[in-house]
Amino acid sequence: MLPSLLAMEATIQVTGLRKRFGSTVALDGMTFTVAPGKVTGFVGPNGAGKSTTMRAILGLDSVEAGQALVGGRPYRSLRHPLRQVGSLLDASALQPSRTGRNHLLWLAHSQGLGARRVDEVVEQVGLASAIRRRAGGYSLGMRQRLGIASALLGDPPVLVLDEPVNGMDPEGIRWMRGFLRSLAAEGRAVLVSSHLMSELQDTADHVVIVGRGKVIADVGVSELIESASGDRVTLRTSARTQAVTVLAGAGATVAVTGADTLTVTGLSGERVVALLGGSAVPFSEVSAHRASLEEAYMELTRDAVEYHAAEIQESAR
Amino acid sequence: MKEALRVEWTKLRTVAGTGWLLAAVVLLTVGLGVASSFAVNCSGVGCGQDPAKISLSGIAFGQVVVAVLAVSAVGGEYGTGMIRVTLAAIPRRSTVLVAKAAVVGALVLVAGSAAVLVSVLAGRFILRDNGFTEAHGHAVLSLADGPVLRAAVGSVLYLVLVGLLSLGVATAVRDAAAAIGIVLGLLYLFPIVAAVVSDPDWVERLQRISPMTAGLAVQATTGLDSLPIGPWAGLGVLSLWAAGALSGGGLLLRLRDA
Repeated sequence: MLPSLLAMEATIQVTGLRKRFGSTVALDGMTFTVAPGKVTGFVGPNGAGKSTTMRAILGLDSVEAGQALVGGRPYRSLRHPLRQVGSLLDASALQPSRTGRNHLLWLAHSQGLGARRVDEVVEQVGLASAIRRRAGGYSLGMRQRLGIASALLGDPPVLVLDEPVNGMDPEGIRWMRGFLRSLAAEGRAVLVSSHLMSELQDTADHVVIVGRGKVIADVGVSELIESASGDRVTLRTSARTQAVTVLAGAGATVAVTGADTLTVTGLSGERVVALLGGSAVPFSEVSAHRASLEEAYMELTRDAVEYHAAEIQESAR
Repeated sequence: MKEALRVEWTKLRTVAGTGWLLAAVVLLTVGLGVASSFAVNCSGVGCGQDPAKISLSGIAFGQVVVAVLAVSAVGGEYGTGMIRVTLAAIPRRSTVLVAKAAVVGALVLVAGSAAVLVSVLAGRFILRDNGFTEAHGHAVLSLADGPVLRAAVGSVLYLVLVGLLSLGVATAVRDAAAAIGIVLGLLYLFPIVAAVVSDPDWVERLQRISPMTAGLAVQATTGLDSLPIGPWAGLGVLSLWAAGALSGGGLLLRLRDA
C-alpha cells in the first residue's frame, strides 16, 4: 500500500505553461491540476500540446513561462524522481538489443532499487514469459506493457502516460483500462493522454481537453456526458409519422435518427409516454438519451471553440 | 553519482556490441602493431626507426573502434529516444554525462592496457629478430625503460582521451553517424592537410594542434628533438580537445530540450 502522505504527494499542478517552437506556439498558458485517486484523461488533437506538456512536467523540456509541480515540487529537484512520478512517453524508446529485464534493471538501479523490484513489476504487467528476450522483438503491445512496468518501478503516487493504448489490440486495451482504474483506486493520480476521446470511455473520471496549447475544458466525465445528453429522449416506434405529429404538437423538437427511432428534445420521458398513450400511438421503447464521451466532446468543442471546432472534430475521428 | 555510474555500467554491459568492440580494440591494435613490427628491418647502426612507436602503431587503428564504442554509448540512446527515459530517471544531466564518461573511460582503459601490453611484448621479440639489437644501437624493447614506459602509458591514455572526445562530440550532435564522421575528421584531417601544405611553419603549426599527431607524440622514444611538440605536451593537446568536446556537449545537453 502507498504511504499515507499520498493525497498530498499524488498531485500534478500545471500553471500557465508557455512555450514556442520557432514561430509555432506549442503551449499557450496551459493550466490544470491532476487530482489523486482519479484517472484524468488529457485529450486533444495531435499538435494540441499534450506531449509537450508531459515533457515539461517531467523536466525534459524547458518552458518560457509557468511551472509544473509534482507533489508540490519541480520534477528536476526530485532525488529519485521515479519514486514520485512514473512515466511512459514512448514505449519504443529502448535499445532493441537489450532484454526487457535488463532495460528495467538499469532503470531500477537509477532509483536505488534492485532486481527484486524488477521482477515484481514484470509480474504485475504480465510480461514474465517474454522478459528475458530482446526488447527489439517485442510487439507494440508488449512494449506498452514494458513501459507500464518501468513507470511502476518506483511505486510512484503519480503516473504520466502518453497514449499508452496506442497500438494495443482490443484485449490489451481492456487490460490497460482495468489496470489504470486499479492504479487510481489505490489513490494514485493518473494522467493519460489520448487524441481519441473514445479511448477514454470507461477509463477516465475526469478529462482535461486541450487545443492549441491551452485548456478548453477541465471537467468530470459524468458531468460532461450529462450536459451533452441534455433532456433528450430516444423513442422507438413503428408509427413514426403519427408520433412526430403528436410530439411536435406538444412543443418538442423531434429528429428522425433511424428507421423506427426518433430523438425527442424538450420533453421528459414521462411526458412523452403520457402523450403517446393519450393519442394511442404505439411505441416499443422510451429511454433517456445518454451521450457517448465522443459525442460530448464534439458538442463541447463545438460550443467552446467555434472557430476551430471543425479542425478538432476532424482529427478526433 | 554512484547510482548513475551503476546505471551506465548496466547499460553498457547489457547492450549488444560492447564486448565485441572492446575485443576489437585489442585485436586491431595488436594486429597492426605486430604487422608493422614484422614489416620493418634495422640493417645497421642508426637505421632511423623508433621501435616503441612501431610496436604501438596499431593505436592509430584501435582508436577508430574506441571512437565507435564511445559514440554508440550516447548515439544509441538518441537514435532510439531512450535518452528521455534516462533523463527522466536522472534529471541532473551533467551527472549522466560524467557517469557515461567515467564508464566508457574505464572500459577503454582496461582494453587499451591489454592492447598496449600485448603490442609491446610482441614488438619486443619480433623487432629483436628484425635487427633492432644492441649491435645496431637499440636496446631490447622493455617497459623498464623510461621512454618506452611513457610511450606505453601514454598510448593507453591516448585511447581513453579519444573515447572522451568521441563521447563529447556525440552528445553535442546527438547522432551516431554524424558523430563518427566528425571524430574521424578531427583525427585524420589534420595529418592529411599537413601532408599537402608546403610551408614548413604551417605544417608544424597544424601538427601541434592536431589531436592525433600531437597526441601520438607521446609514443616517440627516439628523435625527440625533431618532434613538432613534446610527448606529454602533445597528449595535453589531445586532452584539451577532449575537454572541449565534453564541456561543449555537456553544456548543450543542459541547455537543450531532451
